[in-house]
Amino acid sequence: MNPGYPNRSISRILKQLMLLMVLMLPAVPTTTQAAVNCELNYPASDVARLFPESDNYKISYFSFARQGGEPLLRKVEARLGSVPALYAPLNVPYTLYEIYKGGKRIGYIHGVNQKGQYGVLEVFVSLDMKGMIKAFYIQRMAGQWVNKFTLPKFGKQFVGLTLRDFELYDPVSGKGSGKVAAMTNPAPLAVTDFYGLQRAVKKNLVLMDEFVYSTQKGKQ
Amino acid sequence: MISRFQIASKNLLRKKSRTTLTLIGIMLSSWVLVSLLGFNRGYETALNRDIDNMGYQLMVMAKGCPYEAATMMLQGGAGLRYIEQTMVNSIAARPEVDKVTPILMQAFFDPDKGDGGGIAGYFGIDLATYPGMKPFFRFRQGGWFKNDTAAEAVMGYEAAELEQREVGDMIMVPEKNVPLKVVGILERTGTQDDGTIYVPLKTLQKISAIDKITTIGIKVKKDADITKLENSLYQLPDMQVVSFTQVKQTIMKLISTARMMVLSIAIIALLIAMIGVVNTILMSVMERIQEIGILKTMGAMPIDIFFLVWTETLILCSVGGIAGIGLAIVFARLSDILVRRILPYSPGGELVAIDIRLALLTLAVILGVGLLSGIYPAWKAGRVRPLDSIRSEG
Repeated sequence: MNPGYPNRSISRILKQLMLLMVLMLPAVPTTTQAAVNCELNYPASDVARLFPESDNYKISYFSFARQGGEPLLRKVEARLGSVPALYAPLNVPYTLYEIYKGGKRIGYIHGVNQKGQYGVLEVFVSLDMKGMIKAFYIQRMAGQWVNKFTLPKFGKQFVGLTLRDFELYDPVSGKGSGKVAAMTNPAPLAVTDFYGLQRAVKKNLVLMDEFVYSTQKGKQ
Repeated sequence: MISRFQIASKNLLRKKSRTTLTLIGIMLSSWVLVSLLGFNRGYETALNRDIDNMGYQLMVMAKGCPYEAATMMLQGGAGLRYIEQTMVNSIAARPEVDKVTPILMQAFFDPDKGDGGGIAGYFGIDLATYPGMKPFFRFRQGGWFKNDTAAEAVMGYEAAELEQREVGDMIMVPEKNVPLKVVGILERTGTQDDGTIYVPLKTLQKISAIDKITTIGIKVKKDADITKLENSLYQLPDMQVVSFTQVKQTIMKLISTARMMVLSIAIIALLIAMIGVVNTILMSVMERIQEIGILKTMGAMPIDIFFLVWTETLILCSVGGIAGIGLAIVFARLSDILVRRILPYSPGGELVAIDIRLALLTLAVILGVGLLSGIYPAWKAGRVRPLDSIRSEG
């Protein structure tokens, strides 16, 4: 042992180092999560739940930076009501879960982030190959009425809808008609979250239309 | 008239594969060297900034194993050790102390955060003293709280970005379901502050149903003896002291050992590359011995031949060095990510910092060592005797 570096000091300094790391703790998950747009927390079990008939899935990414750039971003925002709705830089990758059964692609799962009343809303939908919603899933939401929005009864209102249904209704102004306009809000005090969820699904479908379904149509 | 530089370039291009391999060797060694020198400076700067950005040089907290503290934080703050707020005044009264600030750190379990839930960290701060400790904070939107009991929050840049919050929006404290109004969003600092949510101390105490604090931040007077103060604080019952100066020194000591090992590898790589240069140039000289003899019979002086061959070394080292430095700059971000994965603790911000001065310094080292290596082949070429070389078989 070096006489100028007593044992007590080493242990004290190591403890201090640990404390410094403890102090840095709150920042760590925030920084890492901010890198990717919206991913399923437990992809294996979530995919099985949202797409029960699937036997495999593949993850791919798309972004405005790689496809379409600023003009496409503006186009998507215009389709969402000309309000900056994406809250994400051009290079943020959107995670797409491609769903397979017996080697054949049968649909997709895609999630988006949307501003909610008390924090971010992470909303996923599973879609068939034609763009019809098969399941609706809220992965993240804050507030005392979360339980009301995560009830199957609320989620079922989205099943069977397509982008066409959302084009008849503007969740920013609350004006329009059709099945989306007829949806019931299970928590009347949480208006921001209710419209936020509708807006999230519309954003999700518009993004899927621009990046996935139109590309597929182009190939055919 | 053809210049010496053009002749040297043409000579190198005669054996393209050999020249390319030598260039790759120089390029890789200069890449490693400049990245390492960049890390050397970048890490220290980032660590200094992280620690300076703490705003205080000493921190006092209740005694307990730091591992235990970490676990408690991860479990949602249950069982964290607290200290009486009266301790703040007793520490502030010491002659070495410039400013003190009480802090309450609380962690609440958010089941909707990350994989299987995560911890949302809140800092309860004193409006009268904490902002003075962080004069470098700049607000992107809004400002500090209205008063020390307001149900308000100030969010770090990334915390706000992640939750998509703007001034005027609300946030909900997990577990407690207490709404807070966002009144300020800070500019990005590149430190842990970016992920922090600040709440008035009294508000957080009320939310957590506790009237104590977890930490006291201490800013020491300019000429005060920090070690003396630290030792006197150690005499406080059940208290432990964290000195950021010491933490910094410890981290730098740990890093310097690893740094020396990598630097040794870089020097060995550089030496191997230079042996490659000597080999390439020497072989080139041997293959051209008759040409050199003819040049001499035509009136070329030994010094002309010396500089001609030396120019080849100069070209190899310049091109290889510049390419290596270019690669290091292009892949600095990647090196940064790799270093972060390897190191147990790395501060925020840029870890591999390569600027023009460092790039030029590295190039100078590569050129210096390269030109030294080129002396022998150039001298050997300069000494070639014309008649012997012309007589020798090609």
